[in-house]
Amino acid sequence: MKTDASGEAITDAELVRRGREGDEIALGELVDRHQAAAFRVALSLVGDGDLAQDVVQDAFLRAFRGLRGFRGDATFRTWLLTITANTARGALRRQGRRREARLEAAGPVPAEDMDPHESVAVGEAAERARALLQELPEKQRLAVQLRIDEGLSFREIGDIIGSSEGAARVNYFHGIHRLREWME
Amino acid sequence: MTDVRCETARELIPDLVGGRLGAAEASRVAAHLETCADCRAEAELVQLLYVARPQVPESVTGRVLAAVRADAPHGRRPWWGLAAAAVAVLALGIGVASRSGRDTETVVPGFVAQGTSTTGAWVSDNGMVAGAPALDGLSDEALQALLEELESNGTGGSA
Ligand SMILES: [Zn+2]
Repeated sequence: MKTDASGEAITDAELVRRGREGDEIALGELVDRHQAAAFRVALSLVGDGDLAQDVVQDAFLRAFRGLRGFRGDATFRTWLLTITANTARGALRRQGRRREARLEAAGPVPAEDMDPHESVAVGEAAERARALLQELPEKQRLAVQLRIDEGLSFREIGDIIGSSEGAARVNYFHGIHRLREWME
Repeated sequence: MTDVRCETARELIPDLVGGRLGAAEASRVAAHLETCADCRAEAELVQLLYVARPQVPESVTGRVLAAVRADAPHGRRPWWGLAAAAVAVLALGIGVASRSGRDTETVVPGFVAQGTSTTGAWVSDNGMVAGAPALDGLSDEALQALLEELESNGTGGSA
């Protein structure tokens, strides 16, 4: 975590301000902080690790190019993840939905898209839960993963999935409820 | 220390599992889990999901940073710092007059028109940034070509 002279962690808002001036170190720090979340959102939507990496790269470039217009009442993270989700959907459409069709046919994200070390470590039940997560409808899936993986508030999640805070909460609990049923 | 109800516990389970709660709140939620089998079962599922979350490949950082650097070479003003007028040119070139501002607001919270009284240019720029639906009709190649043209024209062309 980057700190300023007094040892305080530099906020995203400050990094955005510096990034606007063309400060590459600030931009790099923003990448460092948010790439994992962006990757998980992209992977969830496109179902392919390589394509997800393309999406993440594209999403950061779009976000940085748009920094001038970033108002800052949304967090940079929310904003980036919204762009990431849109970029991922665009990438899917460009592929003629081939990936999506494959996902629907095959169900869970293929193991090859997960980090192999991680797969070994987490165990069967966890992998199964994660695979079932991929079968939830998109809004429920994103609500569940953004709440659990990234710790986003329902309000932030609503911004990203294009719904109200209340609808984001409902999507989360519906998703969790279904997963609990499926896991039994 | 007040008791935590199921509703509150279930909202906070993801933060407990992710280590995002302060000590006091964490112990309140944990205490509820000890007495409530239903919430405990939910916490177990959330824990499974959390530990198996996909990890970002190490290659992503390098790729993104390289792309960012290529996008804004040293000693040059980054092209996203271009004047609004230049962005207006881009918008005209793209020709997305049919876009509605309403979409833009819902697609990218926090992104607003800046420095122009008519939002057309920024709306389009916004759409480009956000990959908003109305731009989907454009081919990537067309969009990329415009972006590259703008970049080379707008930054002094020293590359
Ligand atoms: Zn309970």
